[in-house]
Amino acid sequence: MKKLVITVLLVVFTNTIFAQGAFDKFDGQDDVTSIIVNKKMFDMMSKVKMDATDKDAQHYISLIKKLDNLKVFTTKSTRVENEMRASATSYIKSAGLEELMRINENGRNIKILVKSGAKDTQVRELLMFIEGAKNDDTVLMSLTGDFDLNDLSVLTDKMRIPGGEELKKATKGSKGPKGPK
Amino acid sequence: MKSIFLFLTFSLLISCESKPTLQKYFVENIENKNFIALDVSPSILNLDQVQLTAEQKTALQSFDKMNVLAFKINDQNKAQFEIEKAKVNTILKDEQYQQLMKFSSGKEGASVSFVGDDEHIDEFVLYANRKDSGFAVIRILGKDMNPTGIMSMLSVLKTSNIDMEQLKPLQQLLSK
Repeated sequence: MKKLVITVLLVVFTNTIFAQGAFDKFDGQDDVTSIIVNKKMFDMMSKVKMDATDKDAQHYISLIKKLDNLKVFTTKSTRVENEMRASATSYIKSAGLEELMRINENGRNIKILVKSGAKDTQVRELLMFIEGAKNDDTVLMSLTGDFDLNDLSVLTDKMRIPGGEELKKATKGSKGPKGPK
Repeated sequence: MKSIFLFLTFSLLISCESKPTLQKYFVENIENKNFIALDVSPSILNLDQVQLTAEQKTALQSFDKMNVLAFKINDQNKAQFEIEKAKVNTILKDEQYQQLMKFSSGKEGASVSFVGDDEHIDEFVLYANRKDSGFAVIRILGKDMNPTGIMSMLSVLKTSNIDMEQLKPLQQLLSK
């Protein structure tokens, strides 16, 4: 009995490790800047008591509760960019992500993919890949949780994450003013 | 019966022994020349108790002390730096240190972890390293620290008048 439990636990744990580990190899590489925020952090942030009359803050907290992990990797190296593209492509296939939108802005390709939940707007995972350009970094971002696509604009407003602007456009459905950044 | 007890105590001892903790690491290296060690007490904030709100006071009481251990790189200890860095990394991988967030770029890195559960935090661990200057581990120890308390602590920090005397040893780390 005990053995069975241990085996099951092992399988479950290794599975989760594999599921999350698709991009972990980029963490700690010399040419990569990575930011990783864990579920614990979101849990803790959501427990901070804020002014109950402040609607924005309340909205923000309720969104944060639904988030699991945020991972952002950026790089300037072409070698790493190619690796990122390769792992993103294979991950998209294996995890069954659907393309939400594709933007081509000033020659940079931006792809946003999601894994939908029960409802159309419900998102379990959001993946964004922004191709690098001369002076801009390649960005690979993965956000997991159980949130609504429409909530995201609150998040992009409050957090300064790379690619936040692009995300905003995706959630609002409008392209916004074009122009050099 | 007795042998079982002996066995149990023994295995308990072993399990304690084999688990490296930051506490142990700090104690081991406090005398080491490569390290700068520093204890900071809440008195560093130089606060005027009268002006604090009740909330800030309780937050402050949950905060016990801050221990800092920093490794400063010089020409002789580069190899040692890699070894010590690896040691700290292994310690922080232990389950009891729950990582909140992590930042890294090729040359430098930082992470924040904690010990305890969400509403009752016993210890915060800040860890930062930079390839050409060294690394620093900061332990913020307390009793029952909670997220709201931390926020009010931060607001206290803004108004505090930090006693720089207590931080003097750290200047060595920054000056090259």
